[in-house]
Amino acid sequence: MKNSLKILLACLFTLATGAGVLAQEGKAGSTESKGLVLVEAMMCEHAGDNGPCARAVTFSTTLGQVSCLTVFDQIEDRSFVFHSWYRQDTLATKKRLAIRPPRWATVSTMELREADKGPWRVEVNDASGRLLAILRFSVVD
Amino acid sequence: MDAVAGFFIGVRWQDIVDILLNSFLLFRFYVLFRGTTVLRVIAGIVFLWFAQRLAVFLGLIVTSWLFQGFTAVAALIIIIIFRNEIRAVLQARNLRGILWGSIRKATSTPVEIIVASAYELSKKRIGALMVIPGKDDLEDLLQKGIDWQGKISREMVISVFWPDNPVHDGAAIFEGERIVQVGAILPLSQRPDLPSRYGTRHRAALGLAEVSDALVIVVSEETGNVTLAHGGRFVGVSDNQALAHHLQAHLGAATDAQLRIKGENRHLAVAAGVSVLLVLAIWMSFTKGQDTLITYEVPVEYIKRDPGVSIVGTSTDTVRLHLSGASSLIQSIRPDQVKVRLDLGTAVVGRNAYTITLQSISLPPGVRVNRVEPAEVSVVLDVPVSLELPVQADWVGRLAPGLVMESVTVSPSKVRITGGTTQMNNLSTIYTEKIPLDKIRQSGAATVNLVLNPPSLTIDTESPRKVTVSYVIREREL
Repeated sequence: MKNSLKILLACLFTLATGAGVLAQEGKAGSTESKGLVLVEAMMCEHAGDNGPCARAVTFSTTLGQVSCLTVFDQIEDRSFVFHSWYRQDTLATKKRLAIRPPRWATVSTMELREADKGPWRVEVNDASGRLLAILRFSVVD
Repeated sequence: MDAVAGFFIGVRWQDIVDILLNSFLLFRFYVLFRGTTVLRVIAGIVFLWFAQRLAVFLGLIVTSWLFQGFTAVAALIIIIIFRNEIRAVLQARNLRGILWGSIRKATSTPVEIIVASAYELSKKRIGALMVIPGKDDLEDLLQKGIDWQGKISREMVISVFWPDNPVHDGAAIFEGERIVQVGAILPLSQRPDLPSRYGTRHRAALGLAEVSDALVIVVSEETGNVTLAHGGRFVGVSDNQALAHHLQAHLGAATDAQLRIKGENRHLAVAAGVSVLLVLAIWMSFTKGQDTLITYEVPVEYIKRDPGVSIVGTSTDTVRLHLSGASSLIQSIRPDQVKVRLDLGTAVVGRNAYTITLQSISLPPGVRVNRVEPAEVSVVLDVPVSLELPVQADWVGRLAPGLVMESVTVSPSKVRITGGTTQMNNLSTIYTEKIPLDKIRQSGAATVNLVLNPPSLTIDTESPRKVTVSYVIREREL
């Protein structure tokens, strides 16, 4: 319940500030599909805590978690997107996240362990499987 | 008996060729240089070499070192001191003559021409000294002779001793059908009892006859008398027939020609047999000596590969060969002489298993393979494909407390990689080498290498081997 509240706050903040800057690869404005627009995607230390997102590309295992924040606009119907987490080239987890019109922010979070150190990426796909963005980061000491 | 049988079982056709070829070379060397001092010196060097080996065997350090030095220098001395003899042999015969030329000494010395020339000189009162060598080598006994190699004719003999000729005072040396030297100085006899009528010419003729088996014809300038010196004494010659008789007897012509040829053939047969035995002994010392074992780590080479496929994986890149052979052969092995080659002519895309057989292994002659580890090698072939893949920085360590790495850009962001289809299907990113975070305090850039995993992947020539990683650092918000 508390996490949902955090996500909602993040969505509201994002909606209020408009489009941010996409991290790493892909531009939000270029990922339009049938009205769905990815306006922001970034890796965060503390999505929803003390502000919208503590954006970073390296994450210490001492942080305990890492989050992937994506913000969509021009959503016509209830739908969903996928956050696929890869450690190097191996799929670690794939999360299905619901989105609702007209604008929505989603966060997926992964707990960090010692064994997770190394290069990672999160691929963001829409419901049809189309790749919208790739976010790259590293888990470090 | 078993040992003899074992010896012949282990002999290859290459060994037989090896022994016969070297026996022939040794035999020809003997034939070409026999009668010269070269062979005697070489025998001395061989003795030195055996003495050195013996000294080594007995553990005589200084003696072996000394003999080794002598042997090394002696080889050089042969070339320097006997350069004339070597040159004479090489110049006198063409390649066919050296390898297969007639080895009998010319016996057709034209006795009639020599006799006629002697009496012509006698008639004209022209002094002459003509030396017909026997079996002894006169090389060390003659001085200042001039090489001539002219075919014997009456006119030429007379011209050699003609008073105005600069070499007329010396002796002419006859060999076969040629005058090989003119103007030669003969050793003078030291006998005190020689009659006073004998001058320097007669004393020289007798001097050579005393120290060799040569026959010397002397024509007196004063009296025109023809005299022979042979066996350390003068022999009177009454007329040209008597001279011819003496010459023929000396040269052994006509009557005992067959016997001499037989003797010569027997001599050469013995020399050939000794050559074969010597080379056989040397060959056995090399190949049948005490067995030594050695292990070699050899890279595996793959040949006859379809250019349309590439090797994307092997179970091993090297194999260990356990080799054995005579210690001298084992110690002289060079790395480039040991090869393991696998023929991929029949390989297919995917995993191929090969057993390393003797046919796959190249070794120096006389060296055997006892064992191969591993005996089997698997090779994975794939159709090569080239893809452009994104590059990601691989960070390690920990940023200083209070700092956050906000963003990273890699330039170029993509590189083109070539690898097997199966490998490339599972590959979506190329990573950099590990980049430490610990010393980073502010935004900056680093140039780093790319890491290819698996290593069989290759970066295309147009793509860089290194990339620049730029990073933005900010202070953590409290």
